[in-house]
Amino acid sequence: MIKRIFHFVSASCIIFLSCAPVVQAEDEDKLEFSGFARVIMGYLDDNNAEYIYYDNSVSFDQQSLIGFQADYQLNDDFSVTGQVVGHTGSQRDSGLEWLYLTFKPNNAFQVKLGKQRIPFFNYSDSLDVGFAYPWLTLPQQFYDTSFFSTFEGVLANYEFARNDWVINYEGYWGYYDDEFRSGSRTVDTKITGLFGINTTLAYKQFSLRASYNQGNVALGLPEASQFGELIGQLGFSNNANWLNPDGPIEFYQFSANYENLDYFVRSEVVDIVGKSGLTPDVNSFYVSLGYNFYPYTAYISYSKRDVKFKHIPNEIPYAVSPQLDQIAATYDFILSQFRDENVNGSKIGIRWDWRSNVALKAELTLVRANGQVSNDSALRDLGNFDGRAVLYQLGIDWVF
Amino acid sequence: MKKYLTLLFLCIISFAKLEAAEAIIVVANTSDKSIQLSRQQVRNLFMGGVIPYNLDAIALPPENQTRVLFNTKVVGLTEARIQSYWAQMRFTGRKRAPKEVDNESSVLEYLENNIDAIGYLPGDISIPDNLTVVYTIR
Repeated sequence: MIKRIFHFVSASCIIFLSCAPVVQAEDEDKLEFSGFARVIMGYLDDNNAEYIYYDNSVSFDQQSLIGFQADYQLNDDFSVTGQVVGHTGSQRDSGLEWLYLTFKPNNAFQVKLGKQRIPFFNYSDSLDVGFAYPWLTLPQQFYDTSFFSTFEGVLANYEFARNDWVINYEGYWGYYDDEFRSGSRTVDTKITGLFGINTTLAYKQFSLRASYNQGNVALGLPEASQFGELIGQLGFSNNANWLNPDGPIEFYQFSANYENLDYFVRSEVVDIVGKSGLTPDVNSFYVSLGYNFYPYTAYISYSKRDVKFKHIPNEIPYAVSPQLDQIAATYDFILSQFRDENVNGSKIGIRWDWRSNVALKAELTLVRANGQVSNDSALRDLGNFDGRAVLYQLGIDWVF
Repeated sequence: MKKYLTLLFLCIISFAKLEAAEAIIVVANTSDKSIQLSRQQVRNLFMGGVIPYNLDAIALPPENQTRVLFNTKVVGLTEARIQSYWAQMRFTGRKRAPKEVDNESSVLEYLENNIDAIGYLPGDISIPDNLTVVYTIR
């Protein structure tokens, strides 16, 4: 039922936006088109690894993209917005990213209904708009975790001011039903009961943001599910439960930022807690310092990601029977596919705001893995990777 | 002695002129002439935030010198940062940047014709009686 309502709203939004050009002649102010684009070149100085899908050759087609947005003002309180994004990278699907109806009765309050980006972190809903952030690539050890990019549902936002404080509350609720790509894997994912709240406190040049998000995740991993059922029937219930890919997931995020004419400091930290065995606990953070000498901004950043699976010991005994040996070995093999990982990234870069809507960027990222690489995140070991690689990137970001 | 006094007078005049030229005033078309805003309220208003009054901000284009002064003295951010902030707000459907008008005289004209409109102007500009200066920074 809820899905049907959201589909109905989405369909209505499409009809409004497609009819809008006809109405344009009557009132040009009601319809606005805008967009953003980025062309990014990258080169990884390592033959044995891939990082954000860049390898040891010059590539333009991993992060380059173009997006178009149409906003149509229905009346003083209601508007419709649609945004399509075309990605060059094969890891992201091109198409409709946003399509929603906004009710904004005043400056302080607004409600959006439809397909939207999930506002997990500071830049989760503007990942593709490179012009919106100083870095060329967002700190991957942090933003690699914002995998569920869109949801269908409702999002409400309320803002008020007290003395020199501006306080913003935001809450959303909806569902997610799509594939997500985690490194080399593509997994059908359904999340029900997806909701989150976040608050932003701004005081003069400081801002703080805290958010809590949760959902019940059902991962499409049929082999793991079937094998879990089999060993459950054999009585190895703890191992069977560990292989159950369904369970709640929680995100706790905190961010602190300061900026003035000369400097900025931006930082975020997140703790992701997965209740099922196949969903890891993830701790990650980044901190970035920048110096403005307009029209240039120079920055450094350090980010770290620590992924831990709650592996439990194999209850299935070896050397009892050949069949059990096979089952025990299969369990150990599955366990070995869900590996812990500890990766950090250090960046140095510069942004040149060449025009008020065009920025040129150059960035160097040193990525280091402590120990094994899981191949489930931005960093992939192609064989004999020594745990250290440098990514060189040049890019242009613009908005129109 | 007279020469020195004249020189001193000229210096004072030129400094006073310089200060007036660098001052920024924020002007509103409002029926409540008693409104006075703080710097933080002005900053919030022009960055799409809320303040206790129902006022609609208008801005000058990015390369305008009055806008540069306003960014420096009131907002406290570079033009580049302000532009990136508005890109994030626009493409996430949160807030819209203030409407931009071409120059200072267009700001005055717009303010005179639109009730509850508010804009920033250089400190040495003469303001019609029906508009109210709600904030001044030197």
